[in-house]
Parts: sequence; structure tokens; C-alpha cells
Amino acid sequence: MSGLTAWLLVGLSFGVVVVRRPSTAVGLVTAQALALALAAITAHQSGWARSGDAVITAIMLAARALALGALFRYAMARSRDTQPVAGRFSPVVRASVAVALALALSALVPGFGLTSPAGEGAVLTLVATGLACAATRRATLFQVLGIVLVENGLALAALGSPRGSLVVELGVTFDLTLIAVVAAMFHLRIFAELGAGDSTVLRSLHD
Amino acid sequence: MTDAHVLAVLTVLAPAALAALVAAVPARLVARVAVAGAVPAAAFGLALACLSFARASRPAAGRWLVVDAAGGLLLAVIAVVGLASTAMSPSYLRGAPASFVSANRGERVYFAVLFVFWAVLDAVPLAGNLGVAWLLVEASTAASAVLVGFSGKAPALEAGWKYLILTSLGLGVALLGIAMLMAGLPGGGIGSLAWHRLATFSSGRPTALAAYLLLLTGLAAKIGWAPVHNWLPDAHSEAPPPVSALLSAALLPAVLLVAWRSERALAPVIGSRPAHAVLIGFGLVSVAVAVPFLWRPMPFKRLLAYSSLEHLGVMALGVGFGTPLALAGVAVHIVGHALAKALGFYSAAPLLAHDPRAAKRAVSGIARSSPALGTAIGVSLGALSGLPPSPLFVSEVLILAGGFASGQLWAAVAAAVLLALGFLGLAHATIETLAGEVPDREPARVRVPDMRPVTAFAGLAVVVLLAIAAAAPWLSGTGFVAALVRGVP
Repeated sequence: MSGLTAWLLVGLSFGVVVVRRPSTAVGLVTAQALALALAAITAHQSGWARSGDAVITAIMLAARALALGALFRYAMARSRDTQPVAGRFSPVVRASVAVALALALSALVPGFGLTSPAGEGAVLTLVATGLACAATRRATLFQVLGIVLVENGLALAALGSPRGSLVVELGVTFDLTLIAVVAAMFHLRIFAELGAGDSTVLRSLHD
Repeated sequence: MTDAHVLAVLTVLAPAALAALVAAVPARLVARVAVAGAVPAAAFGLALACLSFARASRPAAGRWLVVDAAGGLLLAVIAVVGLASTAMSPSYLRGAPASFVSANRGERVYFAVLFVFWAVLDAVPLAGNLGVAWLLVEASTAASAVLVGFSGKAPALEAGWKYLILTSLGLGVALLGIAMLMAGLPGGGIGSLAWHRLATFSSGRPTALAAYLLLLTGLAAKIGWAPVHNWLPDAHSEAPPPVSALLSAALLPAVLLVAWRSERALAPVIGSRPAHAVLIGFGLVSVAVAVPFLWRPMPFKRLLAYSSLEHLGVMALGVGFGTPLALAGVAVHIVGHALAKALGFYSAAPLLAHDPRAAKRAVSGIARSSPALGTAIGVSLGALSGLPPSPLFVSEVLILAGGFASGQLWAAVAAAVLLALGFLGLAHATIETLAGEVPDREPARVRVPDMRPVTAFAGLAVVVLLAIAAAAPWLSGTGFVAALVRGVP
């Protein structure tokens, strides 16, 4: 994996953490997943897989990207807030949390043998930004996008691994899609029941 | 294919086929088909469990499938609780018409998703491979989240949402650990993640340890170990009672089995001591976090949820101590906890009908106002608190003895103190629940469900719990426990 691709993926994930509009964030996540599909095409050159497997993986990742993008667009169209849900934290704070988490992960996790060191850093950063996105955003849709960012990071890890597996990629893609569909159902029900796709209205249960 | 393989396939396929069947039959037949079909589905699971116990010394293990003593134990629990939860569901559904989906499709969707969840649960202990086990655990999240939020009410949606987001993020972290392991395993492909091949990890101990920590931290979010347990009290208290029973009695121990197998498989690479220490740490923190809540007056289902946190912590301690005594205790604890906790959740439906305020505040004096219900709740809470002759008393003694035998003196002493405090808290809650002051009655808002299934399950639970308690002290010298100590071959 080239350093440019890694930086592109990282930049898109930070975009999701800081942008205000869900539609922009969905576009960024979709672009990131499509970039992963392109990366899969070239992955076989680094010994990840046979070219046939790489093409199948690329098609699968592209299909997942477009399907999830369409799903999130549908969910947004059915649950349009009168104005975007205000952030719990400012974009600067959210980005700072993501950077701090990424640095902590990079410091704590030793090298794990991906074909490119830039790829390892990108994997950990994508996971960190996904966790930061889910933890610091109030809008339910953004919390789901946090999960997708984490899973995109793991798809990148599978692509960068010298011993990747098409079966694992297929399984993870299926599971993520399933989770995203259920999350979209919940988002719509929450909007219908509580009138907002805002996780702060989900605070009645505590001890 | 061997007979074990055939039975394993039937065990998973039976509930999956039942899901398809209830989706297709006329609406008036859905509940009857579900309950009737659950009997053979449970029978396959129990038959496979018996086979795995009989062949504990020579388990069937391959790249994809493993049929061993530990898996058999979970299959037996899933079969019994799956069947009982299905049998309890029609009366729950009659009293709770609100639904995550439209009301006229509610019953069909509920049973279809319940059976998919059951099929996935059955597959988890049979997975011969860490990668496949992860995929199944993640799939169980999707199915069970729908069931948690099934009532469609705001608190249920909140609980389902928290469960979905927190466990999915946790499993994402676990998958990062798996990706790290996969990069360092010779051969590549998903076959390299077979349990028996994890010990061939070759990228160095620090990487293996980091991967193990990420894996266990991620799984902890799904098991409900503190400090990543936040979804557990909400999901258990807001899910339909039959689903809460499956979550607490079957799902959490099934995921714990994945953590247990991972520890056994990776201990040769990272060392037994650090591998055990992580589990003991999660166990102690979970029990310590649970105990203060067991002392507080709390709605009945929430009390059961915090009891789950405590008991999953006890199981983690037993697996972490890792001696034959401790593992015998874990086996007894898994079965005893499953029966007692399932009985508690099944009693919650008639309890809420009898006194709707029990959804929001602690129950009091139930044995005076409803002796039958009080008996069922008393058996459940008494067993869960570890009151002799509960098997959970015996199992906790075995686990603590195992802790001393393993040389983990400080952990065993801390666990003993915490368990004593937990016992006192839950014993106090039991006395208040059964014999406290009876509050002024409010007219029941919902139709009172039929108590007969709960009474029947309570009778069965008492017999089995006493039998387990009687057999438990002799368990540690058996071939069954020797197989648990060996782990996956």
C-alpha cells in the first residue's frame, strides 16, 4: 500500500469526525470504502492474494460501499431533522480526541507485520477515529458511521496483511452490512418514537 | 462425516430451519409451530451435548468445527434455555402488543429472529476457529439487538441502541486483535485461525500479547465484563423476559467460551501467567463493580442484570485461575447460573403483570401477595445469591479453592471478600423482595400471563439445581474436567 493511499484514507476518516452535516459524512465514508476497493485491486501485487481473490474483494468492498451509502441516504431521507444535531463537542475537540487516541494506539500496539508500516499506522488511526466518532458525536447516524470507520480500518488491515483471507473479508463485510441495516432500523425507530436522531434523548436508563 | 459432525450440523440447522418455517406459516399457527418446533431443536442440542460429554477424552476438532466438553456444556444450556424461552414467549407476546415492527407482523418477526439468534448461539461453541467464532458473535449482535428493542418503547430502543453500538465497537477492537494474529500466523487464510494453530504465532510475544489484550477487551464488551459493561443492565432490563434469559444464561457464557478458548490457545505464546492475569483482572473488576448495585433497592430485572455482571465476573475468575478445581467450579457455575437466572427472568413477566410498578422500583413482599410467584422468585434469587444448597455456593467455593491452589492468593482473597459482600447484598434483596412490606396494590395494566410455564420451569430448576449441587464436589476428578483443563486439542 502506498503512503498516499494511507494518508487519503486517514484524511477521509478525520473528515467524518469534524464535519457537521451527516450527508457530507456519509459521502466521505463511502469515498473511503471505494478507495479501499481500489486498494484491493493493487493488493495482490504485494503478495496479499491471488489476482482473482483481489478482484472479488474489490468488487465486494465497492458493493458494500455503495450499499451502505444508499442505506444511510435512505435513513437520512426518512428522518430529516429540522436542523443538524448540534455536536456534543466542537470539531477541534473531536479531532483532538481522535488524534490522542490514534497516538496512544500507535504507541501501545507493536508492529504487527503488515506489508507497509504506513498501512499499520493508517489501520490504527482509522480504528481510533471510528471510536472517537462514536464517543464524541451525539447524532445516532454518526455513531453508526464510527462503527463503519472502525471496520474500514480492519478491512485495510486485511488488505495489508501478507496472509490475508477472502473468507474473512466476505464474513466481515456481511456482518458489517447486517449491523448497519439493524442500526438504520433503530435510527428510524428512534426518530419516529422520540422525534430526533440524537443520542442525548436516549438517557433515561441509568443507575 | 462422523456422527458428531452430523449432529452438529443438525443442531445449528434445526433452529435456522424453524426461523424460515415461522416466517412462512399462516399467522394463527406461528406460536404453535414455534413451540412445537423448539422441542426437536433443543433435542439435537442436548443429544450433541451428551455425545460430547461421553467422548470428553477424545473431542472432535478440525479447522471449522469443534465438539468438546466445554462446547457441550454450552450447547446443553442453550438447548434448555432456548426451549424454555420459546415456551414462555407466547404468553409474553399476548401481554405486550407493542412492537419494533408493525403489530400484525410482531409475533412472526419475534419468533423468526429468536430462532436465528438461537441458531447463531448454537454455532458459537461449535466454531473450531477464532475467525468464525468472531463472525458468529458479531452476527448474534444483530439478531439480539432487534429482540432487545422489540417492544419499540423508548427505553427499549435506548437499551437496544446502546447494546448495538457498544458491542459492535468492542467487537471491532477484538477484530483488530484477530487481524494482528492473522498477520503473524504461518499459512495465512482463515484456516490459520483454527484454535489449535494459534499457538504457532510467530511475530513475537509483544505482538501476541497486544493482540490478546485487544481481543479480550473487545470480547469483554460483549460478555459484559466491567468496565465495558454499560449496555448490560439496560439491555437485560428492557428486553422481553424470554430474551433477557437467553442473553444472560446463554449468550454471555457462549462469548466467554470464545475468550476461554483464546486464552487456552494463546497461552503457549504469551505465557500462562499474563493470559490468566487478564481474565482475573476482568473478573475482579466485574465483581467489584456489581457488588454495590446488589446492595441498592432496584427494579427486579435490573437487579438480575447486575447479578449477571457479578456471575460473569466469577466465571472469569475461575477460567483465570485455571486449575481443575476452578474449572469444575466454572462448569457448575455456568449451568447453575443459567437455570437460576432464566427462572428469574421468566418470573419477571407475571411479576410485572401482578405489580406494574416493579418495572421502575424494587419489588417488596411478593411472597405474601402472590405465593406461587414468590416461590419462583425466591428459588431464583436464593440460588443466585449463593445461599446453600445452591450450586452457585458450591461453585464459588470450588473457584476460590482453585484460586488458592493456583497460587493466586491475593486475587483469591479479594474475590472471597467481594463474593461475601455480594452474597449479603443479594440475600438482603431476596428477603426484601419476598417478605418485605407489601405496597398498596395498583390495578394491573396488562393481562396477567399464565403462571403454569413458570411454575413448571421452577420445579425443573429446583430438581436440577439440587442435583448439580450434590454432584459438584466430585466433579473436579472426572474426565470431563480433565478435558476442560486440556482445552481444544
